[in-house]
Amino acid sequence: MSTNSPANRGNEPEPIGRFLCASGLCKKYARGSLWQKDRSITAVRDVDFEIQHGKTLALVGASGSGKSTVARCVARLERPDSGQILIGGTDIAQLHPSELAPFRSRIQMVFQDPVTSMNPRFSAREVIEEPLIISEPTIIGRQSGQVGYTREDRRDLVRTLMAEVGLSPDWMDRSILHFSGGQRQRLALARALVLRPQLLVLDEAFSGLDLSTQAQIANLLLDLQEAHQLTYLLISHDLALVVHLADVIAVMSGGRIVEIGPTQQIILNPSEAATKKQLVSAKLATAKFAAAVGAQG
Amino acid sequence: MVDNSNKYLLQVHELKVTYFPANGDPVRALDGVSLDICSGEVVGILGESGCGKSTLASALLKMLPPQAKCEDGSILFRGRDLLSLPERDLRAIRGQEISLIPQDPALALNPVMTAGSQVSEVLRSHLPLNTQQRRQGVLDLLREVGFNEPQEIYSTYPHQLSGGQRQRIAIAQAVACRPALLIADEATSELDVSLQAEIVTLLSQIRRQHGTAILAISHDPVFFAGFADRMAVMYAGRIVEVASTDVIFGRPLHPYTQALVRIATSSVVTGAAKSARLPVIDGETPNPTSLPVGCRFEPRCCERMDVCSRRYPPEFMPAPLANVNCFKYGEHVD
Repeated sequence: MSTNSPANRGNEPEPIGRFLCASGLCKKYARGSLWQKDRSITAVRDVDFEIQHGKTLALVGASGSGKSTVARCVARLERPDSGQILIGGTDIAQLHPSELAPFRSRIQMVFQDPVTSMNPRFSAREVIEEPLIISEPTIIGRQSGQVGYTREDRRDLVRTLMAEVGLSPDWMDRSILHFSGGQRQRLALARALVLRPQLLVLDEAFSGLDLSTQAQIANLLLDLQEAHQLTYLLISHDLALVVHLADVIAVMSGGRIVEIGPTQQIILNPSEAATKKQLVSAKLATAKFAAAVGAQG
Repeated sequence: MVDNSNKYLLQVHELKVTYFPANGDPVRALDGVSLDICSGEVVGILGESGCGKSTLASALLKMLPPQAKCEDGSILFRGRDLLSLPERDLRAIRGQEISLIPQDPALALNPVMTAGSQVSEVLRSHLPLNTQQRRQGVLDLLREVGFNEPQEIYSTYPHQLSGGQRQRIAIAQAVACRPALLIADEATSELDVSLQAEIVTLLSQIRRQHGTAILAISHDPVFFAGFADRMAVMYAGRIVEVASTDVIFGRPLHPYTQALVRIATSSVVTGAAKSARLPVIDGETPNPTSLPVGCRFEPRCCERMDVCSRRYPPEFMPAPLANVNCFKYGEHVD
């Protein structure tokens, strides 16, 4: 494959150091009826964190603690009310949607439900190549000076990606209705990777899946991270899975990050009450199981 | 079988259910499933999506969708075959003798009725109580499922409640008439870990106080620990192993069960370092329209033998009260 081929384009030399720095993020949602717009709830308040290149930051916390809102702000699906999100010196928090285009391809999101996050009338190929077709006239065409992807280029790229996420490239023209939940989550990953992003935001990307499928997807994420030096922002309520994937864990409670630190430190020496509570409930939930397996195994 | 009708509350024998989709091939969702449940016993069904566990739950209440058909087998509840009962008799059984805790209470509850009146509705349709008695009954039930201020909860609407609270309302509905059998179909999979533990505690408590038998269905082995007495493991429409929960977790027999327990064990929170790969089962569950002739787990099994792909393994009993369909435990000369 030549260096100009689509699959290689956008692969920059391996960067090191800080990829993203968020500071003072706040987000309120309006609540109440049309006539009571002033009532609002604060979903996220004064959240600060950094993500290093090629590392994984996991946000954990009980439901309603603001994890998803932070994720949606980073992917700029929501506009934060205040605060900064710095990526390579640019603050994307308040950028106008028209100026966001170059960042959209660097940050991609994978959603919880692979069934409802895809157009049911698409084939696997259409799902994966759609981001290429949408973004092409705006960024890739302009920046690289190339005319763009031909139909054949796109097919090649889809083939490479499907193989990479563990799906047979022969299935590319099948309707996505023929794919199982785990296979669709693989498709969702392929779609997120097609623009060669640097950051993947994974919002509960496992929780709808079976146990064995969860393990397969978790391993796939680790493989992809090694192969492409991807940076992950991982949202999950499953502490056990997070331990396997994250370098840094941030514990959220009531819209704030109450504790942030390396995974080992958080798991072995939690200092905040909210973290301890999370750990205790996760351990309690599996304690009887661990005892049953350990008793005879 | 008649002799055992006192001992067993429910006996499912060789149940076969097939879906006939409008376009496409018929799908055999349950292929000869047999299972017994005694009074007051908690039986867990462990299986991954598409293995037929929810079809089994709806077949027991004869609430299968219109395109599904019970083709063969019997479901004896206290000696009566539910499959041949007329709809009128079934309605008396549903909710009163067998009841279901739905997977998603947000969908199962009526959004325009208060929580209390929805529980009250169950009492009204089965028991001859006056308004006063019903209200008192509902308040008692709400207290029993863990609400400290039942008066307040009575008049709230489902959207004002949290996920865990809604699940408690659904449980109050299910236990309102003191059924003999409770079916919990993935009753906690939508909730976060600490709430899951609370709901399991509540179900155990209901079982202890009222001797209710529970058929609990989940894809997560951890859910059953300390809760189920016996477990049945399902794979692609068949039960592959039935044994006590201790055996399933401590000395699982079927290679599929062994793999599931291994995966679940690695998901217990430990200080494990990042980048250690999780154990997995290679491959995917078979396509239900073209199932293998032999053992259905054979294509993914790491201990497969020649015989496994030729015919379906019969039931072996390598340990007392542990049944497994795997050639590892018996004859495999053809």
